[in-house]
Amino acid sequence: MVSEEIWILIEIFLFPGFLFLFSLAFFTEWFDRKIVARFQNRYGPLHVGPKGILQPIADFFKLLSKEDITPRAADKVPFRLMPILLLTLAIAPLFCIPIMGSNGLISFEGDLVLIMFIMSLMALLVFIGGWASTNRFGTIGSIRAGLQMFAYEIPMNLSMIGPAISAGSLSVSKIVEWQINGVWNVLIQPVGFAVLTICLMAHLQRIPFDIPEAESEIVGGWLVEFSGKKLALIRLANDFEFVLASSLMASLFLGGPYGPWYISLITYLAKFLLCAFILSNLRAAFARYRIDHLLTGAWKYLTPLALLQVCLIKAWGI
Amino acid sequence: MTFEIPFGPQHPALEEPINFMFKIEEERVIDVKTRLGYVHRGIEKIAESRNYQQLVYLSERICGICSFAHTLCYSQTVEELLGLEVPERAKFIRTILAEMERIQNHYLWLGLTAKEMGFETLFMYAWRDRETIIEMLDMISGKRVNYGVNTIGGVRRDIAESTIERIEKSLEYLEKRAEHYTRVCTKDPSILKRTVGVGILRPREARALCAVGPTARASGIARDVRADEPYAAYGEIPFKVVTYRGCDVASRMYVRIDEIKESIRIIRYALKKMPEGPIRVKVPTRVPEGEAVSRVEAPRGENLHFLKSNGSDKPERWKIRAPTLANLLSLCRMLIGVNLADVPVVIAGIDPCIACAERVALIDAKTKRREIWDGKDLWRYANEWYRRKYGF
Amino acid sequence: MRRSELRRQLRIRARDIIVKRERRFAVNVDEKSLKRVIRRLMRMDNYTHLSTITALEVGSEIEVIYHFAFTDAMVSVKIRISKDDLLLPSIVDLIPGAALYEREIHDLFGVEFEGNPDLSPLLLPDDWPEGVYPLRKWWSAERINAKLGGKR
Repeated sequence: MVSEEIWILIEIFLFPGFLFLFSLAFFTEWFDRKIVARFQNRYGPLHVGPKGILQPIADFFKLLSKEDITPRAADKVPFRLMPILLLTLAIAPLFCIPIMGSNGLISFEGDLVLIMFIMSLMALLVFIGGWASTNRFGTIGSIRAGLQMFAYEIPMNLSMIGPAISAGSLSVSKIVEWQINGVWNVLIQPVGFAVLTICLMAHLQRIPFDIPEAESEIVGGWLVEFSGKKLALIRLANDFEFVLASSLMASLFLGGPYGPWYISLITYLAKFLLCAFILSNLRAAFARYRIDHLLTGAWKYLTPLALLQVCLIKAWGI
Repeated sequence: MTFEIPFGPQHPALEEPINFMFKIEEERVIDVKTRLGYVHRGIEKIAESRNYQQLVYLSERICGICSFAHTLCYSQTVEELLGLEVPERAKFIRTILAEMERIQNHYLWLGLTAKEMGFETLFMYAWRDRETIIEMLDMISGKRVNYGVNTIGGVRRDIAESTIERIEKSLEYLEKRAEHYTRVCTKDPSILKRTVGVGILRPREARALCAVGPTARASGIARDVRADEPYAAYGEIPFKVVTYRGCDVASRMYVRIDEIKESIRIIRYALKKMPEGPIRVKVPTRVPEGEAVSRVEAPRGENLHFLKSNGSDKPERWKIRAPTLANLLSLCRMLIGVNLADVPVVIAGIDPCIACAERVALIDAKTKRREIWDGKDLWRYANEWYRRKYGF
Repeated sequence: MRRSELRRQLRIRARDIIVKRERRFAVNVDEKSLKRVIRRLMRMDNYTHLSTITALEVGSEIEVIYHFAFTDAMVSVKIRISKDDLLLPSIVDLIPGAALYEREIHDLFGVEFEGNPDLSPLLLPDDWPEGVYPLRKWWSAERINAKLGGKR
């Protein structure tokens, strides 16, 4: 029994738990920055660590050591709590994603719904954070974040339900298993995959949908008053969200980890990096949309497409 | 709910400090008030205690990006007062450098506008291409900006044969890139969504508000000093005045990209037809009494210098009107009714050069005290002012 | 553009038109005829726009020059007013684009433009002392420095 418990502890804290997830988050940030930089004909991180791979860690520690200012007029409790909550919520869903073997650390029927719920909560937290800053730009940013959520949330959830309907289960692990035994969802639900990718870009607030944060318009939007440790935690939470997004894409549509434990890790990482590459690619290729463009586009195109996808699944009985 | 948003003087979208107070209602601008004064350097006042040769250097520093246009305009004004005729070769060299500056400015502008739109990739590409033209200017003049080539009576440096070959090669590259950007800017949906129909300035308004440069030409008004009042060698070089009828930021973009291509053609023609000969004539230090007005087409629009001399070696009055000041009212007009998200794009659309727009008298830089409007003081002053006024 | 044509269109005395050189004309006006002349000037062919308004000090007077650009010439409309009576009619009702130029001259020379709705400071800071017009000859750098209390 002892070894069982030790094994659980190792799983939670080391692999595929916290240590692994933290390393993956930092690594993904480096990966994203490098890809975007190469697209833009720049170098990206270069000096810290081999090929700059330690740059995100360096940035994190640098931010931790900077002055942390709480504006006098800010709403202190939500303002201070928000980064911590954001980080916690960002890490939590990752435990449900299968990384090694086809079962996540925590898997139960309905964990997909839990993931969707937590993602909505994160968007709400962004709104609260910006609002609690009581800064003009923060307020505008948080309003935009709220509006953005209004745009992408429904198509995103619909596109995530698609694989669930096919697999007949609301558990990510079961969906992965179903794909392993059958065929990858991306091949039978390509529209759902595309919609999910676009909605995830909006959820992650990446260009072309970084409207709530739009640096050149509202000086940082909802982020504007966060500094020092709080900003470090927020950025780390963003990295984890990115990991979550890529993992979701990989698990729900690309079949997730496959095979015995040593191969499954590699397959997972390969698919994960592919999805991260797609997300980085999209970031480098577009200008920023306006909030009204996003709203009209989401309701005119994304939601109908997602609905169509769901209907098609039902119709073809896949 | 109606907000009042200060835009500037400190803002990531602004390269130079200027203050706009926007009244926003539901993300739309309903009123604009503008305030200059943050980059006052006292140039027109300083001018009255410097001799004409020193003022060539001073005029260069009115603006970093359109420095050549200012020195050209100033030199032309003084040459008119002196009754001098500049050698032909100097005129051609001036034309070539002015057009190279235009290319450099328009690439810079393209990158900045892309950045305001959030399109970082285009920003990086445009500025990478700008490096090509900057290197050419560096090769000819020894500096990347503020070339120090113009002087009263001609130019100080010649363009060597070997340089001409390298210029031709980089012109080819730049032309290809300009074609690429035309394709990108006419086809990319995210750019089109952010620029078409944004920041409208009707031709009637443009005329009434005296808009100049690409801002006016994008509203269909064919106003270009190089065509209306040819200076330097423009009288001998055929070129097209580029206009578009769209009246929005997208048209301003297309006008500038087409002007890049037009400039490349002008440079090629000028390089071929450049005559041999001296590049400068000797100039007396004292300028006879008189008044003169000169205009050039700076990359941003019409640049005007007025000089009154009193027979000594220092001017009586030097008045500069840079294009951005002329376009400010049009900008305020354009901004009404625009979404807050489009504000940086519209402001960038007129290619603002605030340093050009405000040079007038404050404190002589030569006193022992540092000029008030230097970076740190500005920042401190602006923050204090805002804190007092709005209780931040 | 020829001198005769200018004279005919503006309907002013011949000696009020000075031809500096080809393409450069100066027209002297007084306060009463300023707007009338400008209105006629704007109706001429080849009129492009108002380039700028310059002000300068000439002895005990301030001379204000309106630079108008045409496609074939530049016409400077000049008017002199005494320093004791710095009032000019504003031309923003004819040319809205003149607003900022008039504001700048008001800031730096102290000329009042009657009819301009907004003559608030354009270039000078909000707490600039009254009556200090930086571009006037009398206000040298030392005097301005002293007036500001030497703290800047």
